[in-house]
Amino acid sequence: MKKILIVDDDPNIIDYLTTLFEDNGYSTFSAHDVKEGLAVAREEIPDLITLDLEMPEEWGPRFYRKMSQEKSLKNIPVIVISGLSGGDHAIGKAVAYLSKPFDREKLLEIVKETLQ
Amino acid sequence: MVDEILIIDNDPSHAKALGVYLERKRMEVHMASTTEDVMVLFDNISAKVVLADPGLPDMEMVYLLKQIKTAQPKLQIIVMATPGQFDHAMAELKNDAVHYLMKPVKSTALDMALYQARSWIALNNKLEANEKKLKVFRHTQSLFQQLFDEVPCYISVQDRQFRLTATNKMFKKDFGDEIGSHCFSVYKHRESPCQECPVADTFEDGRPHTTEEVVTSKSGKQYNVITWTAPIRNGDGEITQVMEMSTNITQIRQLQDHLTSLGLMIGSMSHGVKGMLTALDGGIYQLETGLAKNDQERTNRAFDQVRQMTGRIRKMVLEILYYAKSRELRYRSIDINEMAAKVVGDAMAIASKNGVHLEANISSSMGFIDVDPTWMQAALVNFMENAIDACTYDRSKKDHTVKFDAFEMSPDRICFIIQDNGMGMDQETKEKMFTLFFTSKGSQGTGLGLFIANRVIRQHGGNIKVESEPRKGSRFQICLPKSKPDQSKMVDIPLKVLEIENNETDNKK
Repeated sequence: MKKILIVDDDPNIIDYLTTLFEDNGYSTFSAHDVKEGLAVAREEIPDLITLDLEMPEEWGPRFYRKMSQEKSLKNIPVIVISGLSGGDHAIGKAVAYLSKPFDREKLLEIVKETLQ
Repeated sequence: MVDEILIIDNDPSHAKALGVYLERKRMEVHMASTTEDVMVLFDNISAKVVLADPGLPDMEMVYLLKQIKTAQPKLQIIVMATPGQFDHAMAELKNDAVHYLMKPVKSTALDMALYQARSWIALNNKLEANEKKLKVFRHTQSLFQQLFDEVPCYISVQDRQFRLTATNKMFKKDFGDEIGSHCFSVYKHRESPCQECPVADTFEDGRPHTTEEVVTSKSGKQYNVITWTAPIRNGDGEITQVMEMSTNITQIRQLQDHLTSLGLMIGSMSHGVKGMLTALDGGIYQLETGLAKNDQERTNRAFDQVRQMTGRIRKMVLEILYYAKSRELRYRSIDINEMAAKVVGDAMAIASKNGVHLEANISSSMGFIDVDPTWMQAALVNFMENAIDACTYDRSKKDHTVKFDAFEMSPDRICFIIQDNGMGMDQETKEKMFTLFFTSKGSQGTGLGLFIANRVIRQHGGNIKVESEPRKGSRFQICLPKSKPDQSKMVDIPLKVLEIENNETDNKK
């Protein structure tokens, strides 16, 4: 079963994404902030990460920079899911950028394609 | 214009001879021989010259002539007297007469006397006209001075070396009475002329120039000003000085800053709205799938989430409305226990979702209170939500409790105490928590909630006491009068004062 790590500071959105992914046959982990996200990523080595950009303390791009510096993590695909408008260039190497509120079917499609 | 002349002579034949002579000179002649005649005639004619024999030694006519001269200073009196009375007449009338003639009057002497009288009249008229002009001029001058002084701008007149040669009242008030100083030293506390100078440009090309500057007053305050210049030319059209007029636009700049912060708020708010909509999507998805899978637990959870998100969106919309619209309150008499129960009910949903215990301790039958229920409830729920958030964000402990107490402080005053054992506040957060747009919750907060809650409590005549310690928790005590506060004593608190006021209450504690 493919593993997805959800990094978002809003527990409601974590809840939503968790249910959505699990309903579609993925296993999930979640983290509220950058620090926790990195810790979980190192331990679980997920197949895909969804990343929020604006979070208290450290922001999403910082997470991406840090994970890119780690050999075991740098090749994990990242989907940005954020409410920031114009944030699609914040992480250039992200496989996709989805603006909140996002289209559920489109997200699942991207996830499916990315994990094939 | 026909010259009118009045001849006063008690010798009728002499008077008649003079009359004939003067009429031949195209003058309109009036005759009088007694003081009564003079008085009657004088009101009906407009003679500018009087040819009079004062009829000494009787002094009656002398007095009358003096009186007439005082009443009409422009009137010219030519006195004629017999050789025996000549000196006497001169001694009595002195400068009241323009000329003295010996009787019998010779025509050349009379012509000369008339010429002199006419020149005096002409001179007097000229003088009068000039005086009138001068008066207008003085009036205009004082008007201009007044304008110069009262214009709500800083006005200075400068020479080619940028020395101030004149300044208006407002300039003097904020920058001192610095005639002879350099513009750059007074306005900018510099020692050499500024790089870009509209005054220099105007001296160069004779045209008005405008710039925006930041200047520093004598008290050290900085003002944003817009400066216009205009050349002042001498009679030959050369520019000798330049006038500089500066309008203080500091307030406009401040307003712009305020608008910028409003823009920022809308930015952060739109981000919050997006988050809520996404969470609402999530709730709906779980509700749909929960029902489809007949998963009761999921359906319940989804229902809670949808309700919570709807509540949050509703609250945010209310906040925006409150901030954007007038803050008039609609008072109603509300059962305090019912209101407290509602607040606890609203908070309970959020607390249980976040794993926070909620203990409510509501005294029985506290009676009624005059409040705007929508806003008062929203404000109280806001304090509750903050307490719950303070617990959720606190990762140092596992068990979190929010306590809500409602009781009567006195027969006409009720209090609510909202206490949590969450993360607490540091000094900075405590000082700024009621300030507009201040939030410690990152993208989750708008910085409006407590600002509005505080205003609502104050508008209801209530007060808030805050105690807090980092990592230990916070305690809010909110007290409200039961009856509507006297409107006349209510002051709408301007935005800026709020922060200071809160600091004061902190210090008083």
